Amino acid sequence: MKRIAACCLFLCGAFLARGADVTFPIESYQLPNGLRVVLSPDNAVPVVTVYILYNVGARSEEKGHTGFAHLFEHMMFEGSANAPKGTHFAMVESNGGVLNGSTHPDFTDYFEVLPSNKLATALWLESDRMRSLAINDENLKNQKEAVKQERRLSFDNQPYATAIVDVWPTLMYRNWQSSHSLIGSFEDLNNSSVEDVAKFFKTYYAPDNAALVIVGDIRVPEAKKLIETYFADIPSQPLPRRPNLAEPAGFEPHTQVYKDPLAQVPGIVIGYPGPMRRSPEYYALNMIDAILTAGDSARIRQDLVKGKQSVVQYEAALGWPFAGTLDYRDPEPYALYLLYYPKFKPEEIVAQVQEEIARLQDHPIDAAELDRVKAQLRASHLKDLESSLNRARALAQYAVTDGDPHLINTELDKMLAVTPAEIQAAARKYLTPQRRAILEIQPAPKETK
Amino acid sequence: MTPADCRIHRGRGPAMAGPSIVARRGRACQARASVLLLFAALALSAQTVDRTKPPQTPPIPSYKLPPVAESKLPNGLGVVLVEDARFPLVTLRLTFQAGSKFDPPDMPGLAEAVATLLDEGTKTRTSQQISDEIDRIGGSIGGSAGADSLAISANALSEHLPRLLALIADVAMNSTFPLEEVELYKKNRTESLRQQHSEPGFLAEEKFASVVFGRTPYGHIAPTEAAIAKLDVKNLAAFRDSRLVPNNATLLLIGKLPAKDEVLKLIAQHFGAWKEKPLPSPPAMQFPAPSRQIVLVDRPGSVQADIHVGRLAPTRLSPEFFPLMVGNAVLGGGANSRMFKNIREKEGFAYDAHSQYDTHRDSGDFQAVTEVRNEVLEPALKAVLAELDGMAAKPVGNEELTGVKNYISGLYLLRLETQEGVITQLTTVKALGLPDSYLETYVTRVRSVEPDQIQAVARKYIAPAQDAIVVVGDASKIGDVLKKFGTVTVAK
Repeated sequence: MKRIAACCLFLCGAFLARGADVTFPIESYQLPNGLRVVLSPDNAVPVVTVYILYNVGARSEEKGHTGFAHLFEHMMFEGSANAPKGTHFAMVESNGGVLNGSTHPDFTDYFEVLPSNKLATALWLESDRMRSLAINDENLKNQKEAVKQERRLSFDNQPYATAIVDVWPTLMYRNWQSSHSLIGSFEDLNNSSVEDVAKFFKTYYAPDNAALVIVGDIRVPEAKKLIETYFADIPSQPLPRRPNLAEPAGFEPHTQVYKDPLAQVPGIVIGYPGPMRRSPEYYALNMIDAILTAGDSARIRQDLVKGKQSVVQYEAALGWPFAGTLDYRDPEPYALYLLYYPKFKPEEIVAQVQEEIARLQDHPIDAAELDRVKAQLRASHLKDLESSLNRARALAQYAVTDGDPHLINTELDKMLAVTPAEIQAAARKYLTPQRRAILEIQPAPKETK
Repeated sequence: MTPADCRIHRGRGPAMAGPSIVARRGRACQARASVLLLFAALALSAQTVDRTKPPQTPPIPSYKLPPVAESKLPNGLGVVLVEDARFPLVTLRLTFQAGSKFDPPDMPGLAEAVATLLDEGTKTRTSQQISDEIDRIGGSIGGSAGADSLAISANALSEHLPRLLALIADVAMNSTFPLEEVELYKKNRTESLRQQHSEPGFLAEEKFASVVFGRTPYGHIAPTEAAIAKLDVKNLAAFRDSRLVPNNATLLLIGKLPAKDEVLKLIAQHFGAWKEKPLPSPPAMQFPAPSRQIVLVDRPGSVQADIHVGRLAPTRLSPEFFPLMVGNAVLGGGANSRMFKNIREKEGFAYDAHSQYDTHRDSGDFQAVTEVRNEVLEPALKAVLAELDGMAAKPVGNEELTGVKNYISGLYLLRLETQEGVITQLTTVKALGLPDSYLETYVTRVRSVEPDQIQAVARKYIAPAQDAIVVVGDASKIGDVLKKFGTVTVAK
């Protein structure tokens, strides 16, 4: 709930699927009011995840309203007609369950994981706030303060966070919808009114702009009845327009330096505008990311961390920092984020990374290494999907972004089918210095703030 | 809304035999009746459901763990196998009675160093070869040490089980502790220890352990810089050779496994040649009698005070365990607990206010924890002490108790969704020497705790008369306030 997508900074990574190993049962349909429903029963353990994705995120914000999607997400925990403030926490946690919500560039999600006898409770809670959120001055004032406090604690008081959240998007994007701060400015937060909240709620938090996913210990006919009972009579709204995220043509390479008074160790972000979701290059770049960064034997670790001893730690993903392979939506970059030893210069780190990429461009990966990386991709996919919550997240993404939740059972095959030639071609086309943005994060003496 | 059938067979294994089935059947069928009634109502009046009230729901479902098969190799290695074929993965733990409890007095952190360095090189594999091999089977590997036990944790794609077992056996038996890896570890651990000592929460935990457990090995939770400096291949190998032996170990495997005989054959093939050895006797544990003392750990410049109030408590084998565990949850477990509601929500003294009851094999400790702004230290500490007293003064009400039992039972279920979750629970049973029935009977025992039992253990262990009060903060700012609560010892 108190979390913008940047909390996922360190969670990005491969999130894939393979039909041959495990096939998840899926039943999907739409209520007359437009609510998309995906059910995936798994009765092994009496636990159930109820997950709702609203198809609106920070990239739908308007000028003067930065941070609003996240502020609104907080409002969703302020109570509704029959479930006053605090009810969500009390009812879920008193049953040993967990709940949360998070705001992302293109979507916002809410979930409960509970013992399965509490399915109806979760549906009652979620439907009540979709139907009748309590929007008033007092709640808004509270949450403005809570969001500001969150910004102070989680961003302004953390090294690297401001650079990544506020500066990096301005390097990667020139369309304001994507380049503005997703956590927002205090000024914009202050300017938000109850009317803004009411309008946002009506526009975006309607059943036809949402998907409800239930994974775990359910009986499908019973679950359907409960969904009908709690959600069917929530009125639909005209489908909101998606923001125009098109980037102007002609990306120019550039480098920017950010002085960070909280950073102890220098960091660098290196990014390249990425391909279309589910295009052949998307799968190839996902494989490239795994070759570079997945597991202890990954090239960045063996060559830069252990070999050259230049890099301290690193992360990378298609969609970094706010998304991963699973929730990547165009336009997104492929980006690497590295902390390095101060005795190296930033341009040396860039050169070392680009050298690794040149290897990918110039030499086809050998079969043994490719097999190892594929094993890693397959295993990490399976481990991810063991939990009902992660399965629900994947189903929601495939249902909303691609219109087909069944992709959870087939996407891994595409991820693993990438050939050495495709890897070379994608590296040559996408990961060149001519289409590269660099953000240097340099530790700065305290007084410069 | 799920138990619409009498799922005696819930779970992945065959039904449990024995008289307990009868009790289960009774409860499950009751649930069914109420569910059917409710659905009849829904079908008639989907439009008129009463949304003003939370829905009626059936009781928490019973759950039977998948069958656990235990055996032993002739060299004494315990083997625990759990078949869970939902995903083609295997998860492994090799756990030893070799935790920090067995650190020599002048070498705190030795067990931790051994655990971390085991997979950094063996007689036949370099560190990089181990990384390559574990990645190649879609897995990961790591070592860790707790107070009682040391564990190697690993996983892999299930088709590579033989290679995983070969690698783990090599790491467990043949580590060479290569010089450059040991030196790198010493450098990194010294750095991270300094980092830990800059965090108030860690300073508080460290002091609290030493106050409650005294000079026993449970009294230390981290190495010292001096001990790190002394690490070398000789003391690392000596610790490994004396304690990492098969008759001191249990190998746990969960996942999509071949037939049991085949798994046991594989295990024997890789671990059978491991020689058993007589074990050195465990250290004697003479814990100091709990007594009221106030210890202030000076952290100049601290803007908040970290408060830990607590004392020695019984182990999980004690009949007092379940009442105290439930009582602890009433007091300070989660967002519906008394401490959270009163100290955080009502008074606004702190962002976090909770209590914890941790158990080791030979003892345990109970503590109430909160971090408060310097200015409210006095009322906040008074409020904490009042909450502790409150647990002893009156029996817990039925409604509150039912809520807490649901909370604990639900948490238990949520932990069992993944292989990692199940193996962690089973490893705890082995590490703490608990009976095999511990997990199977866990929820039932939670459910059977009565208010008077909680009050009895609260008088003994929660009421703060004999509690240590450990506070980390700026002595120049909070020293005088603390003196109002008694004599204060200032520690560095």
